[in-house]
Amino acid sequence: MGEGQGIDSSDVRSSGYIQITYDDTIVRYFVLATLFWATIAFLVGLFVALQMSVWQLNFNISWLTFGRLRPLHTNAALLAFAGNAIFAGIYHSTQRLLKTRLFSDDLSRLHFWGWQFVIVLAFITLPLGFSQGKEYAELEWPIDIGIVSLWIVFAINFFGTLAIRNEKHMYVAIWFYIATIVTVAVLYVVNAISIPISLFKSYTIYAGIQDALIQWWYGHNAVAFFLTTPFLGLMYYYLPKAVNRPIYSYRLSVVHFWSLVFLYIWAGPHHLLNTALPEWLQMLAVIFSIMLWAPSWGGMVNGLLTLRGAWHLLRSDPIVKFLAAAIIFYGMVTFEGPLLSVKSVNSLGHFTDWIVGHVHLGTLGWNGFLTFGIVYYIVPKLWKTELFSIKMANIHFWLGILGILFYYVSMLTAGLTQGLMWRALDTNGRLVYPEFVETVIRIIPLYYFRAFGGGLFISGYALLLYNVYKTIRFSPGVSDETVQVKEASFAIKPTERGHRRLEGMVFAFTILAFVAIAVGSVIEIVPSLSVNKYVQMEKGVDPFSPLEIAGRDIYIREGCYACHSQMIRQGQTETLRYGAVSTIEESLYDRPFQWGSKRTGPDIARLGTKYPDLWHYMHMEDPRSVVTGSIMPAYPWLISSKTDFTRLKEKISLFHKQGVPYTEKELEESNTVAKEQAQEIAERLKAQGVHEDVADKEITALIAYLQALGQKGGQ
Amino acid sequence: MKQQALAHFTDSYLIVIAFFLFFSVFLGYIVWVGRKGSKKHYDYLSQLPFHEEDPT
Repeated sequence: MGEGQGIDSSDVRSSGYIQITYDDTIVRYFVLATLFWATIAFLVGLFVALQMSVWQLNFNISWLTFGRLRPLHTNAALLAFAGNAIFAGIYHSTQRLLKTRLFSDDLSRLHFWGWQFVIVLAFITLPLGFSQGKEYAELEWPIDIGIVSLWIVFAINFFGTLAIRNEKHMYVAIWFYIATIVTVAVLYVVNAISIPISLFKSYTIYAGIQDALIQWWYGHNAVAFFLTTPFLGLMYYYLPKAVNRPIYSYRLSVVHFWSLVFLYIWAGPHHLLNTALPEWLQMLAVIFSIMLWAPSWGGMVNGLLTLRGAWHLLRSDPIVKFLAAAIIFYGMVTFEGPLLSVKSVNSLGHFTDWIVGHVHLGTLGWNGFLTFGIVYYIVPKLWKTELFSIKMANIHFWLGILGILFYYVSMLTAGLTQGLMWRALDTNGRLVYPEFVETVIRIIPLYYFRAFGGGLFISGYALLLYNVYKTIRFSPGVSDETVQVKEASFAIKPTERGHRRLEGMVFAFTILAFVAIAVGSVIEIVPSLSVNKYVQMEKGVDPFSPLEIAGRDIYIREGCYACHSQMIRQGQTETLRYGAVSTIEESLYDRPFQWGSKRTGPDIARLGTKYPDLWHYMHMEDPRSVVTGSIMPAYPWLISSKTDFTRLKEKISLFHKQGVPYTEKELEESNTVAKEQAQEIAERLKAQGVHEDVADKEITALIAYLQALGQKGGQ
Repeated sequence: MKQQALAHFTDSYLIVIAFFLFFSVFLGYIVWVGRKGSKKHYDYLSQLPFHEEDPT
């Protein structure tokens, strides 16, 4: 409880006033951690962006390939950069809004060091290929447990602080923090439930469509409740502080809060439009996504109008520039999100780089700029000094704006270009660009522009680092802020009714916020848990053979889903290019589902039997040998590494227990069955001209899987 | 039982009921947030970020 430094009550208590020393040390820690991890997240992002233009940058090294580094980039941006930033902001603002020191110094420190430890684990395991194969949730189960435990530590510390607060009323920022803590916990736990096979491998309990639905319920709301609500809370605190004016309309903020948390949770399935997901779920997601326009723009307007009478600060104060630009980016990205959720727009934009542009408009513009604004505000305060250079901060601002502009415009252009090329038909109704790679080659110049934009953004960020470094160096020394506050009495006056009562009641408020997010979650998810309602079992689907499962695990390890979808959507040009529309039944047994969200390469839902085994062998060894102009990394290690047969039997029996119809032989002699199939493929390869014996190599298992895609029935 | 309940899940009258339920809650709190006499209270709340220290 921080005795001795937290509350020094001996001399002042009698007057009703107490002295509070805020724990600013932990805030300084989190600020520095934010800056450190942001550097890494940005640089990894730039590196993988360059791999799109120059495939040689994969260096034929497994842990440097795009498929393994992309999860590292997204996890670093989400957990390490945004995570540390919101902890810094929440701990700093909450203490001041509630006029009390944080609940427990020990929990604060456990939270900080634990979180950094978890991030380090993520940085080691993801490039090594330990992955659950679910986007933004790749981390394996021991790390998941770590994250959830630390989130609980954070929650105890936060709610404990609420319990010892000296300000009875909870400012709207605190509401957003509460919604964040509750919802992230629910999302993360539900999505991460999986059954471990070993320390580094587990399988999600959901299969196929269930997994898709839960994954994107989680995935979209990670955006909503990790990148939006906490940052909105920060906006409601730091923007008024920066311009020294209260928020434009407190009433609007109340409406903003409840509408946003209620509506957001429904929007997840808009990541699965035009797919095999049941129509009513798609419709719900579209409607709620469009409704989200209103609260999002309500929040934006509330933020911007806070500047009324203070617009001149936009000329002189870099902090206000960053905050105002962040809010405008928020407005842009929340305008574009509902637009992309309209089914027809989605059919053009989805799977293209437009989505990548959209995401970065949000992360770089909204989360990045808001964080930078807060850093410029908070660092001089925490280190008791002035910002080293305002001019440098201004240059950072313009470099950042230019960087985002280059990034977004190039990705929007790339997305539209490629999306239109995919659907271009000639007068005979045939595809104008039947070869997928043609559409890739066309947009490679735009990948250079994107990397240039990212480079600009990062060079601006380097100025921030230097500026902060200099500011801290000139600091006269740090001390935690001490204030005198009136000790609160917590009795709620009988005259207070309704929301005024509620605002003083953390528990009731938290329950209500939980109900607001639970309504949409339950209505969307519960029906899909009884998946047999949608599935026509008579279509008869065969599960993947043991060897194909081994191959599928390699597919997941290499992060192939980052560039290849396995979901042929409704629409004539999709069918022309890839074959019949994918059905729910086809991915019925897939743990995890691999529908994907981006087509840097073509969809491979019906890849099986399209090419001979030798084609796949050569394609993995050197993609350019069979597809001229391909930007796919080469995977030479698949030819030299041995397939891991050791746990195959456990995997098959685990799937069997979950209802996958394996035969007695496949169950009892998984290894033998797998090795027999591998032998067949290796002999075929030999006959086709491969010199080495690759029966026990990973390439064989992967070929078995790729050749089985779309061949298991269910159409 | 559960199957029967789920079979009615997409019935249009249920959707209409749900819509009116959600929308009336929304209208309800709009009216309630905007009610007269609460201005002073909201002004107080909006000043909270500036109450760093209580005057002694």
